[in-house]
Amino acid sequence: MRSPAQLILLLVVLSDLAVLGTTRLSSCIRVLAAQGLLLGLLPVLLAPHLTVHAVSLGLGTVVVKAVVLPWFLAWAIREAAVRREIEPLVGFIASQLLGALALALAFAIAARLPLPTPQQPLLVPVSLATLMIGFLVLTTRRKALTQVVGYLILENGIYLFGLTQTESVPFLIELGVLLAVFVGVFIMGIVVFHINREFDSLDSTRLTELSD
Amino acid sequence: MTLVAVGLLLIVLAGVAATALSRWPAAAAWVFRVLFGAGCVAGGIAALAVLAGTAVPDVRFGGAAPFGAWVFGLDPLAAVFLLAIVSVGAACGFYGLDYLARERGHRAVGAAHLLLALLVTALAVTVIARAAIPFLVGWEVMAVLAYLLVVHEHERRDVRRAGLIYLAVTHVGILLLFAVFATWAGETGDLSFDALAAHPAFVAGRGAMILVLALIAFGLKAGSVPFHFWLPEAHAAAPSHVSALMSGVVIKMGIYGLLRTLVLFGAPPPWWGWVVLALGACSGVLGVVWALAQHDIKRLLAFHSVENIGIILLGVGAGALGMAYGYPLIAVLGFAGAVLHTINHALFKSLLFLGAGAVIHATHTRDIDRFGGVARRMPATAAAFLVGSAAIVGLPPLNGFVSEWVIYQTLLRGGSAGGAIQLAGLGAMVLALIGALALACFAKVVGVMYLGEPRDIAAAGAREPAAGMIRPVVGLAAACIAIGLLPIAVVPAALRVGSVVAGIAPATAGPAAVAAGPATVFTAGLTAALLLAWAARAAVVRRRGHAEAATWACGYAAATPRMAYTASSFAAPLLGAFRSVAGVRTTRTAQAFATHPSDPVLERVVLPAWHGVRAAAMALRPMQRGGLQLYLLYVVLAVVALLFYLFATGRTL
Amino acid sequence: MTWEEVAALGILALTAPAVPGIAVKTKSFLTGRRGAPVLQLYFDLWKLLRKGTVYSRTTTWVFRAAPIVVLASLIAAALFLPLDGRAAPVGFAGDLVAFAGLLALGRFALVLAGMDTGSSFEGMGASREVTIATFAEPTLFLCFIALVLATGDVSLGGMLGAPLAAAWPGAGASLSLVGVSLFVLLLAENSRTPVDDPATHLELTMIHEVIVLDHSGPDLALILYGSALKLALFGVLVVSVFVPRAALAGPVALAVLFGGLGAVAVAVGVVESVMARLRLSRVPQLLVGAAALALFGIILQLH
Repeated sequence: MRSPAQLILLLVVLSDLAVLGTTRLSSCIRVLAAQGLLLGLLPVLLAPHLTVHAVSLGLGTVVVKAVVLPWFLAWAIREAAVRREIEPLVGFIASQLLGALALALAFAIAARLPLPTPQQPLLVPVSLATLMIGFLVLTTRRKALTQVVGYLILENGIYLFGLTQTESVPFLIELGVLLAVFVGVFIMGIVVFHINREFDSLDSTRLTELSD
Repeated sequence: MTLVAVGLLLIVLAGVAATALSRWPAAAAWVFRVLFGAGCVAGGIAALAVLAGTAVPDVRFGGAAPFGAWVFGLDPLAAVFLLAIVSVGAACGFYGLDYLARERGHRAVGAAHLLLALLVTALAVTVIARAAIPFLVGWEVMAVLAYLLVVHEHERRDVRRAGLIYLAVTHVGILLLFAVFATWAGETGDLSFDALAAHPAFVAGRGAMILVLALIAFGLKAGSVPFHFWLPEAHAAAPSHVSALMSGVVIKMGIYGLLRTLVLFGAPPPWWGWVVLALGACSGVLGVVWALAQHDIKRLLAFHSVENIGIILLGVGAGALGMAYGYPLIAVLGFAGAVLHTINHALFKSLLFLGAGAVIHATHTRDIDRFGGVARRMPATAAAFLVGSAAIVGLPPLNGFVSEWVIYQTLLRGGSAGGAIQLAGLGAMVLALIGALALACFAKVVGVMYLGEPRDIAAAGAREPAAGMIRPVVGLAAACIAIGLLPIAVVPAALRVGSVVAGIAPATAGPAAVAAGPATVFTAGLTAALLLAWAARAAVVRRRGHAEAATWACGYAAATPRMAYTASSFAAPLLGAFRSVAGVRTTRTAQAFATHPSDPVLERVVLPAWHGVRAAAMALRPMQRGGLQLYLLYVVLAVVALLFYLFATGRTL
Repeated sequence: MTWEEVAALGILALTAPAVPGIAVKTKSFLTGRRGAPVLQLYFDLWKLLRKGTVYSRTTTWVFRAAPIVVLASLIAAALFLPLDGRAAPVGFAGDLVAFAGLLALGRFALVLAGMDTGSSFEGMGASREVTIATFAEPTLFLCFIALVLATGDVSLGGMLGAPLAAAWPGAGASLSLVGVSLFVLLLAENSRTPVDDPATHLELTMIHEVIVLDHSGPDLALILYGSALKLALFGVLVVSVFVPRAALAGPVALAVLFGGLGAVAVAVGVVESVMARLRLSRVPQLLVGAAALALFGIILQLH
């Protein structure tokens, strides 16, 4: 283990694989909260020296990704009274295999991208892997809430990728990232509420019934 | 070479004698056994001599013949396949005498024996050929004879259909082979293998085209996914000894062709090795998953042939990658493993088919779920079948373990070398998956067929067959045990063959050959330990005595044989996990439940394509209505089009 | 094979029945009970060895041979493991295939013995056993591939011995993942929770227990001992990956090994107390997850 940052990145990948494997929605949200905590620690560890900027970024990330969003999702679960994910569109085993494949692809692609190497070489592959796995969860799960979790993991991946580029960045970009997340969840929340109200369930494959 | 020629002559004579003396069946059988056995022994001795290191010069016939002289020779690669041909051929020939004896009145049994002898001869000719024409002649004769043997029970519609599919596919293969040889020899017109090996470097994509066509043609013969769809049909429809010969040897001609192509071509480009590796992985996994779904024992064994061809292709692919990336040890190990598995599979697959044939012969059914308890009624056949099952799963100390061990070594060494070849290391995981699935399938087959109680009256009435059907089976089992017990006897010869294919000197394979010694100690030691433990247990039990009762099973008092676990139930969890590729259809009503296995490639690719081609051909039929004026019009149109072409390209007539 | 290696093997053979006992004791402690003594399995084996044998009339020689084959294959497999952390008594290139093959041999014999009784319970257990094995074998080989990549050696003595100790500083993250994957494999192959419940006696929920329903007397003793030995072997695998002992002297390395075995047994007990048994259709998914971990370890090494 070369550095704490490397350990955190490995744990992020493990949390991605854990989301792929779990059926309980509450476990998904807990893993997402843990991931938010890990992501909040990263700017603090990656900064060459401790600045107010890095600490505040980390703290803000923790508050939003590890506290606010999971609490909001937990409230949504209670409102919709749904607890478990049903068989995804490709099957659990196949989605885990696809996640492993995404991991391999991420490492292969990251080696070939013409990027300047950041001081933490695992950052680019892990960000690509998180992005792909988030996309996988978003597209293959049936319950809208799990799809929200997938979208949030996707945003986490983008956030990680952003960490490679931002050494000394204006505060605005961080705000932009967080705002994008907030807007996305807000929209998803409205959509979830409406789906639930209209169909009395959160199975998004039933959306096809809208067209006559 | 004279020994081989004498042997082949004796085999042909044996077949002729079987037909000529068919009015006196006992004499015919005796003469057949003597001549056929002598012929196979002669061929075997010649093959073993070459494998031990003797070099045999080529023999040429007819220098002025069209397309070149007919050259025959025996190098180590040909010798190992010749050995497989004669050993399996002898077992199947002797077995067939008693297997077909019952049908002597209403079928041409003598002709069947003659065809078998001629098939063995054609196989041998294909293997010893060292020019394209004798190779192709032997190939075509082998294909036609195999078809004739497959449609032995030609009054049955499914047998005729299977024969037709086989005939069509094998002729597509030979057409592609014509293309391969034609492209290869090019303008020189010299079709002997020496001339092909000494070719100049290929221009443009010619080399790639040759390799792709050869892969398709030999893949069609070998039965690799996606070219396997004829195999289960043909091997299930044929009589059991013919199925054994086909699964054991005829499909190996595809492997022989691939290896011979590599010998003559030299180092292939890396993409070819990756394609072969991928085909091997797909064949291995899909073959055994489809086998799990089968209810018919012969179709199940045929799909296992697809699986083992996949394992052999894993070895060939790894060897080709070793040649392409420049790792001589990996190349030699890969080809050695492939060749060793070829022989081992020939031995244990024919053993399994012959054993299953004995059970089918005794019970007149092929449905696995109707057997049960056969081991207590046919002990020798059951014991031999168990040996074959353990061998095909790759358990120590039998021969399947030895060849799979060599193939694992090449994949693992590929994984730990540097560079792009490291991806081949994942092939070891695929091989492990194949082995575990094979264990599941054969635990099902042996458990449901031979153990437990009979589920049907037919199975209860099974009796041990005639001695002529038991002896070949026991002989093959003994060969499996012998090879498994003494890897040191076979691995160095396999490494020599591997060096021939990889085109390097045999000395490079040193470290791998050294491992054969400790491996022999391991297998021999394990066998000794098992035998000692069995003897000790027997002594203890005899002293103490034991009681007998009905099966306890937690005190369930009224168990009937129908309550025992069926083969479909046994395989259901695995088929559920693999349901996207298994191709199993389930019909379920309130009163009945049935599963129907199907071959996804045949049902969803080949047959729809065939129907599409047929529909297009039917659409074109109006062009051939037979009217004279229409045909004259066609001639005029063709001449006009030709004139236009000449004017447009500016050539003169 | 030196005297130290024979002695180490002997100690492993003698202490193997204690490993499940420690797991059971941990489970009892965590649930507030006193539980059976750690040496309970020894007493059971002694009792069974003195009992008579009853064979079912349906069974053949396959049933009678199975316990011997199981035990012989496990003892042969133990010969390939480097117990002192440096070298194994028997080793040759590619002997990890022999190790896996021996485990498969034992499993094949046990499954066939179960089918031999002609009872649907044993058939059900046999079916489940081979299903789980189908997902466990590739995972085991993925772990082996990771070890081969880390150490450059294709023999178990090297993969778990001195070259592994040299590989730890560079490939530590990857080897930790492999160790976790091997621990999940231990739970699956030895029928511990969450794959199977070794304490239940409901036929419909058992896997390993139900295959051996009809064995009695000394045969059952051999099989129970074999299960304990298999658990100990997988424990040795896990400990060897996490704690390379090549730098330690002989007796110290052995002491660390057996201490580690005890720790693994405690971990098994903890996992069994904390988790419930998985639904049977979810067990392949668990093993694919373990395979994904091992694959991640391989990817980290190739990176």
